[in-house]
Amino acid sequence: MTEPYLEIDGIRREFGPVVAVEAVRLTIQRGEFMTFLGPSGSGKSTTLYILAGLDVPTAGDIRLEGRSLLSTPPQHRQIGMVFQRYTLFPHLTVAENVAFPLVVRRRPRAEIDAKVKAMLRLVRLEGFEDRKPAQMSGGQQQRVALARALVYDPPVLLMDEPLSALDKKLREEIQFEIRRIHQETGVTILYVTHDQEEALRLSDRIAVFSKGVIDQVGTGEELYAHPTTRFVAGFIGDSDFLTATVTAAEKGRADLKLGDDVIVRGVPIHGDPGRPGAKASLMLRPERIDVATAPSSAVDGDRAALPATVEDITFLGASIHLAARTAWGEAVAVRLPYGHPAAAGLARGQSIGLGFEPAAAHCFL
Amino acid sequence: MLLQFDRLGWWRWVLVGITGLTVVYLLMPILFIAALSFGASQWLIFPPPAWTTRWYGELFADPRWLESAWVSFVIACVVAVLSVVIGLAAAYGLVRGTFRGREALKAFFLTPMILPVVILAVALYALFLRVGLNGTTTGFVIAHLVVALPFAVLTITSALEGFDKAIEDAAILCGASPLEAVVRVTLPGIAHGLFSAAVFSFLASWDEVVLAIFMASPTLQTLPVKIWATLRQDLTPVIAAASTLLIGLTILLMLLVAVIRRGTRS
Repeated sequence: MTEPYLEIDGIRREFGPVVAVEAVRLTIQRGEFMTFLGPSGSGKSTTLYILAGLDVPTAGDIRLEGRSLLSTPPQHRQIGMVFQRYTLFPHLTVAENVAFPLVVRRRPRAEIDAKVKAMLRLVRLEGFEDRKPAQMSGGQQQRVALARALVYDPPVLLMDEPLSALDKKLREEIQFEIRRIHQETGVTILYVTHDQEEALRLSDRIAVFSKGVIDQVGTGEELYAHPTTRFVAGFIGDSDFLTATVTAAEKGRADLKLGDDVIVRGVPIHGDPGRPGAKASLMLRPERIDVATAPSSAVDGDRAALPATVEDITFLGASIHLAARTAWGEAVAVRLPYGHPAAAGLARGQSIGLGFEPAAAHCFL
Repeated sequence: MLLQFDRLGWWRWVLVGITGLTVVYLLMPILFIAALSFGASQWLIFPPPAWTTRWYGELFADPRWLESAWVSFVIACVVAVLSVVIGLAAAYGLVRGTFRGREALKAFFLTPMILPVVILAVALYALFLRVGLNGTTTGFVIAHLVVALPFAVLTITSALEGFDKAIEDAAILCGASPLEAVVRVTLPGIAHGLFSAAVFSFLASWDEVVLAIFMASPTLQTLPVKIWATLRQDLTPVIAAASTLLIGLTILLMLLVAVIRRGTRS
């Protein structure tokens, strides 16, 4: 780890009796693409607005290269921002919009013209110089907004759900553009989204927000493979949760009892070490569950198996979704890859065994 | 839609008829006065026996008419400017403010629209007698500003509500000071609203007669007051000519607003 570049140090924001952000702490490296992911109302946008200077924290500090930003008004923070809504200046042309940050900085005309040209090339909108915002599509407008936010070489770029108003295909196209621009410019990006797929596609690291705090920070793969809270496990990727009782726990592993008599040994447990008798939930990824046509609750080697019946089978092209129900009545979703041998002879009502590695499962209290 | 015009059958001709009558009803006085102003009859006979531009000649030959038109114009211009400036400040507070009682304050700003003008006129007359503002341009401007302001507050408020504050925030993050953001981004963004406010305020003063009668002095009177005063002395087609010009300028300004509205929408 290098020197911390941007530090969010215990930010808290109250709106009257409502605590929107509660003690958010995060360090961002120079050039990193960091995404704030969370449902609406989780405090991610408020945190971003505080970084921009458009909102003021009730407590806490933010530092860029060690210097506090809080006393600097937003127009002097030199931070670029792309908003969720279209915020191009409606009376100015595309070129004038992109030039705006340089014009208010009283830069010489020649420099402005050169930079505007370079920026429009970067966002692939050459030839659109004289258009008015109203004459452009939403995607084009957001690309102009991106060019405007980057034209004065800000050290940090904030993006507040910039693609949420666009349709899926266009969104993916611009996500690709944003990645390319991030690589070409090396700017540090803080990106807010509620779309986990977008977060996974774009980010170096993701901070998962829930109820005003960051639950977990990590790369997409870390969050997916090792979620530390039940919320993160449920928010990133698909997941099955089964109710369980702890029978034994030590060194971050727990033995769990499911239903009346199924024992699963050695499931990684997060947070609270757990005591025998405690209620817990066992989390499984649908694609990490295997299907055996012979029902069995026997533990085969180090694999666990749950007796279940097939309730529904859905063919989805690359994968087959199986809705199963355990012998004690809990729903489990299973995803088998297309062509998986077990999928061949399955029928509704059939008894099956759901197999998984306890080490690939997670236990949350 | 429950009721579709195209599927009404013969009923739609009834609607067309009612619309037509309404248009005629509204246009009749205007057309009537315009026709009289070009009529050759000294006694305002309708239909005119012959056509002439003689009354316009008399109108422009009489310095008192021109003077009162000029007084009206100057007062209306000053009112328009002040009304937009004050209306903008009020609208900013009403739209962007978060203080309690904003709705009540907005309703209060609009009361001159429903308050009988005569009451306002009597009150202002009594007040201006004490401070010596009767018969002065300042007095006229203040009185007309009261009736013009609601138009400005209403138009600018709705323009500002339609302008996303995030655009202003974006300008600030681009490095503009809050004042610079307002001047460079917000004001041009609501320019059509400011222009409409100016025109409506101008017209509110330009054709206002009740307050003007109270404020006027023998040496300082606006065009509507001059028309009214002349009418009381003798009935001359010059009045019709003056009225036609008054209406003409009003229509011209309204058309200008319509054209600019259309321009900003496309």
